[in-house]
Amino acid sequence: MKFVDEFRDAELGRVLAGEILAAVEPGRHYKLMEVCGGHTHSIYKYGVDDLLPANVELVHGPGCPVCVIPMGRVDDGIAIAREPGVIFTCFGDMMRVPGSEGTLLEAKAAGADIRMVYSPLDALRIAKENPEREVVFFAIGFETTAPSTALTLKRARAEGVPNFSCMCNHVTIVPPLRALLESPDLRLDGFIGPGHVSTVVGARPFQFIPADYGRPVVIAGFEPLDVLHAIRMILAQLAEGRCEVENQYKRVVPWEGNLRALEVMAEVFELRPHFEWRGLGFISQSGLKLSEAYADLDAEQRFSVPGVRVADPKACQCGEVLKGVIKPWECKVFGTACTPERPIGTCMVSSEGACAAYYNYGRFARDRQVV
Amino acid sequence: MSDHCVTCSDEGVPMRVVAVDSRQSTALCAAEDGSESTVQIELVEPVAEGDAVLVHAGTALVRL
Repeated sequence: MKFVDEFRDAELGRVLAGEILAAVEPGRHYKLMEVCGGHTHSIYKYGVDDLLPANVELVHGPGCPVCVIPMGRVDDGIAIAREPGVIFTCFGDMMRVPGSEGTLLEAKAAGADIRMVYSPLDALRIAKENPEREVVFFAIGFETTAPSTALTLKRARAEGVPNFSCMCNHVTIVPPLRALLESPDLRLDGFIGPGHVSTVVGARPFQFIPADYGRPVVIAGFEPLDVLHAIRMILAQLAEGRCEVENQYKRVVPWEGNLRALEVMAEVFELRPHFEWRGLGFISQSGLKLSEAYADLDAEQRFSVPGVRVADPKACQCGEVLKGVIKPWECKVFGTACTPERPIGTCMVSSEGACAAYYNYGRFARDRQVV
Repeated sequence: MSDHCVTCSDEGVPMRVVAVDSRQSTALCAAEDGSESTVQIELVEPVAEGDAVLVHAGTALVRL
């Protein structure tokens, strides 16, 4: 398929790997963070890390929206789902994220009407088909899924669907990156920037990273050659003493983003003063809620929710994994008590979570040996 | 485990436009595996039959 096959060419991959090897300074250790869970997934699926020199280390960032959902929000969702007459809709992976008293999947087994959808538009269709029921969409994701939710809410308003509402858990990418850069226990040399978030926000929001923190950023696509190319571009910046935002993914990402998407988001959402991120704690102005104009479609105003903050399980080290402080296999419960079938932490739930990516692509045994 | 994580903000699906409903601002789109779904196209309009778009959570974000 166009845009895919040519970016999986093994021979070109070896050429890029050779160029990366030639670009690294012997004796220097490079620590690069891939911000997005899509990159993490791609790196382990295609074995991109196997092509890298030992002194180029990839650190997995917080860019999986399932992985950053705190337990308290899952509890709030389950509380709404248990309300009589409610049809609760959410994306598939979200069903398996543990709250303090189980998952949405377990709540469904216990009788709540919880349905998996592929898009907010599917949730709106369910609302139109069930006018006597309240249909709630549990919205998660960064700036790539937020426009989809915003357009659907505008559509619900325009079509007059009074039984549809949204529990908004959308988050924005820049505040957690700033929090990571402020973190004293994490020293990074550069960032592989999130490709599809950038189709919406553009490249400009990442300019604070070179400007304020002196680290290069290269926005990258998700095929294996994209990731290798981005790594080579970061190493070139470091070797040449440059520090800027570059766009490796020009075939998809326009520098200025999608202005229509930003407009519709600005109309439908506003920033929350604070939002809790799993493992990262509360980060100011990092989460979105429905704006005043759309408050009547806000499920948190339509239903009462506990709103209680719940501490993560003690054994779980998702926070350290999300910050890149430890590797997934360094967590005490990785692959033993915590597996994709019975996850304790969110990083093991989503296919883009760092732990699930390690576990599913056979990284467990080999990485243990390296240690 | 599927390749595509529908929850993720950063796992887009390239799709081909099959039929446009400009009144609804939606389009029937087909993925590489032949599966079809209705996609919101407000953010990339105008699109025509045969165009390739990148779709996230049922919304086309960019024309390819």
